[in-house]
Parts: sequence; C-alpha cells; structure tokens
Amino acid sequence: MQSALEKAVELILSGNRELMSILSVTARMSISSSLIALLIGVPIGIWLGSCSFRGREALVVINRTLMSMPPVVCGLLFYLLFSGVGPFRSMKLLFTVEIMIMAQVVLITPIVVGNMESYVAAVALPVKETARGLGIGGGKTLLLLLNECVYQIFSVYLLAFARAIAEVGAVSMVGGAIAWKTNVMTTAIMQYTNRGDFSMGIALGIILMTSSLLVNIAISLLQRRVSR
Amino acid sequence: MKKLLATLLIALMTLGLVAGCAPAQEAVEAPVEEAAEEVVAEEVVEEPIEEAAALNTVILKEQDDKMINTYSVIAVDPEAPFADADGNAVEDVAINTAGADALIKFLLSEEGLKLAGEYGVEQYGDYLFYVKEDAPRYEGEIAAATEETKVIRLSTTTSVNDSGLLGYLLPAFENAYGYTVEVQSAGTGKAIAAAKYGNADLILVHSKSQEEAFVEEGFARVLDGFEGERLSFLYNFFVLCGPSEDPAGAAAAADVLTAFASIADGKYTFISRGDASGTHTKELSLWPEELGITAEADSFAGYTDWYVSANTGMGACLVMAEEMGGYILTDKATFLTFVANGGVM
Repeated sequence: MQSALEKAVELILSGNRELMSILSVTARMSISSSLIALLIGVPIGIWLGSCSFRGREALVVINRTLMSMPPVVCGLLFYLLFSGVGPFRSMKLLFTVEIMIMAQVVLITPIVVGNMESYVAAVALPVKETARGLGIGGGKTLLLLLNECVYQIFSVYLLAFARAIAEVGAVSMVGGAIAWKTNVMTTAIMQYTNRGDFSMGIALGIILMTSSLLVNIAISLLQRRVSR
Repeated sequence: MKKLLATLLIALMTLGLVAGCAPAQEAVEAPVEEAAEEVVAEEVVEEPIEEAAALNTVILKEQDDKMINTYSVIAVDPEAPFADADGNAVEDVAINTAGADALIKFLLSEEGLKLAGEYGVEQYGDYLFYVKEDAPRYEGEIAAATEETKVIRLSTTTSVNDSGLLGYLLPAFENAYGYTVEVQSAGTGKAIAAAKYGNADLILVHSKSQEEAFVEEGFARVLDGFEGERLSFLYNFFVLCGPSEDPAGAAAAADVLTAFASIADGKYTFISRGDASGTHTKELSLWPEELGITAEADSFAGYTDWYVSANTGMGACLVMAEEMGGYILTDKATFLTFVANGGVM
C-alpha cells in the first residue's frame, strides 16, 4: 500500500484531470468569495469601528452573532431559496459555483467586518486626534485611518481565505459536490472518506494544506512589503 | 520550565502526526533495513506488509435472497405536486424531461445494461452489479442533446456513485449523445428529497418502500413505451460483515435473519448507517420483529449498548466496524474498495 504522502505527490505529478478540476474550482470559489467579502466587509468594518452613533453597539452585537452562523444553516437557507421549488428557482443557480460563492460571502463578510471593527476601534481615536491636531479634514482622516489598517487588512484577508477554503458544510449543500463542476477539496475529501478511500482523502488533505501554505507565504510577503 | 514543557509537547505532537500520516511507509522501511544485507530477501519483505494491512472485518454472509438489493431508475414528473419548504404548492418547476428520457433509455439499452453488468470485474475481479432478467429494455433511438436539454441532473445514492459505476457508465453516454450529467449523491432518503424539491430530473435509488412512496405521491412519470414508473434494472447483494472470530456465529447461521437474530441475542456490536439510506432501510428489515427497531431514535434507545446508529457514510461506518470489532451490513462495492485500501490511512 502506498503512503498518503506518496499518493499526494503522485497525484500532483501525474496531473490527474479530476484533481486539476477540483483545484481550479476550489481556487475560483475561495479566492473570489474571500475577495468579495473583503471588498464589502472592510469599508463597513472601518466605518463601524470609527464612527459613533446610537445603536452602534447593537450593530456590533448583531454582526458578532452573524459571525457564529453555522455554515450548514447558511447552506440550508440558500438551498431552500434557490431550490427547484424555491422563490428564486428561475435563476437556476443551485449546484453552481456562483451560489457557493454567494453562500461563502454571507458567511465570511461578518468575520471581516468584526475583525476590522475591533481593530479600527482601537486605533481610530489616536488617529483622529492627531489629524485634528494637524488640522486635517474628514476625508483625509479616513485615508490616514485606511493607511493604518493596511497590515490588518492583509491579515483579515488571510482569515477570510482560510475560512473559504476550509468550509465544507455550506458548499456541499448548495454546490452538491458534483464532479467536474462544484466539487471542491473539502467535499472531495468527504466523498473519498465515505467511500473508505482514506489514503486519497489524506492525499487531498496534504495538497489542500500545501496550497494554503503557499497562499499564506505569498500574502504574508506582500503584507510585509506593502505595509512597510 | 513552562516553555520547555510546551516545546516538548509540540515536538511530541509533530512526531505523532508524522508517524500517524505515514504508517505504511515506516512499515516498508523497517523490514527493508533488516533485509538490507540479503538482497534475495525482497520477496519475503512484502509478506509482512500485506499481513499488516489485512483487516479483521470479513464477509460473513452474502448472496442471501433476503439481502438482494434492487436498483431502480425513476423519471421525475414536471407536473408533480411540488411544494416549497412551507408546503405551498409550486407549479413552474423546471425539469429536463427530454434529458431524463435519453439517460433512462441509454441505461436500459443493450449497451448500457452490458456496461453496468460487466462493471467491477476488471478492477475487483468480482461482479458488483447484475442485470435483472426481467429488466425493461429499450431498443429504439436515443435523442441527442440540444442546447436546452444538455444538462441532466441525476440524484442518486452513495453506493451507486461511490462504487464507481456511474463514472464507468456515464462517459459513454455523454460522449455519444452530447449530454452532461450532473450527479448528486446522498443516502436514498436524501436523494429522493432532492427530487421532491425539484432539484433532479431523474433518480437512481435502491429502496423499494421509499420508491413506492415517491410514486404514490405523484412525483414519478411513466416514459413513453415503458410500463410503470419504477424501472428496476440492476441488482446486487448486500453483505453482512463482521469480525473474523465471528462470536455470533453469523457465517454458520442458516440464513441472514437467523444471523441478525443471534447478533441481537448476544448483544454483539452492530454498526448501523442510521441515515435513511437504502442500506439502512434494508438493515431495518432484517432485525427480528419483536425488537421493534425502526429508523426512529426511540425505537433502539434500549439497545444502545450494542446497536450503534452512526448516521454517516458507508466508508466511515466500515472503519467503525473495524475499530469496534462490530458487525455491519454493507454494499459489496464499498466493502471491496475499503479492503483494497487496507481499511486504514
């Protein structure tokens, strides 16, 4: 019997077509969903962290509750909405990569917002005071604040990406884990495990962790360069 | 001091991980070192490896008429009484009837039946599916795909998909007629539920009672030129597996019902799928009636010391059976894959 590691290496070297399809769907799904969540979440997070009005606390609490939404609940919601009998059935989105991305965005955005908010809340006051002392206007203060956040944004992106690539409950429900179309690394691992093919599951797990490591190295390098 | 302890702990965990991930590799290395001096000993080296991979779980009962497992294909009716999650009727559900027709006709064509019947011989040296003698057959033309009909949504059970049958059958169909078949697989219960939610054009399942309910509720469609909604065309046998010591004497039992009764009598560990799959439904029908075991959790609340309702896939259940030395009802295909992989990572 081959060890899982040998199997993983062999799979990659042989350029197994199904593996390539799984990898590309995984990459498309996790990169676009984490980027969209970042684009939506960062402005909201900065705004929520730096402003002060009645009800801000309530919004923060609601957001933190959304952060703990179980992926399967989100998956079930999207499944029912876009199902053949659901209200949005005419869009024909169930079992596509697009709906997987949508479900992921709903799951990840609150996490991005929450992490940006808590960071910005800590740095906003000194930045604002400095800006006032230097006589800088509101728009420029926001830019200054954004500048302070660059390092944090990279960290938050990595968090969002990690969540997206590791997710299994929601994507298996709305994506259906259809081979060549919506099967991602995590759902493929589940399938192989259910078949009793554990070495294949471990091999895929090793590949998943390795690609995650590469992305983390790349983003971390970028983070150091940009925020310096 | 604390730092030292933490470092030690991390080092230990890393070691454990490395050892856990590559048990087979080590097993290979160790004997090689011993035999390094004798080059001739290479053949001897392989034997202990095979033995190490041998499983304690073996097939005890098979080919019993009570364990026959019939697969049927059913087309979904676009006029079916679809309802949303709140029970409100939904009418304009999009079902690809032309695509479903084409796939069913292919499955029942001479080519389709021949492919299904020979599957597994090459890979496992054993037949995994048999074609039913009275299977409905189709000899006419099969319509090629058009832009509107080319995507077919097939909802099926894990045993069909995981055994690799569809991966063997479908490419021939897709290449010849230009369709793309999107396969979703889950336990029979969930596979049928997906069709009721309008998410499948046809189903391929193996649970007579659940199929009949599906037909009765009006979700099934009769194809032109065929009789009846349920088109049963393949069958195979479930197998009862268990520890090789076989404390319940299942292998020697007269039939599978006696074997199940003696497992229950002796309270030997039994792993149940517990997930409304076809395998689970079959297992429920094999227990002595007086035990009253059904799919409801209440019904086996008194048997939790030996009856394990795992609520997971076939492969995961087989691992459990192997680990716990329990008995298990499984489809043969998954068991053979499991054995081929040595049952461990």
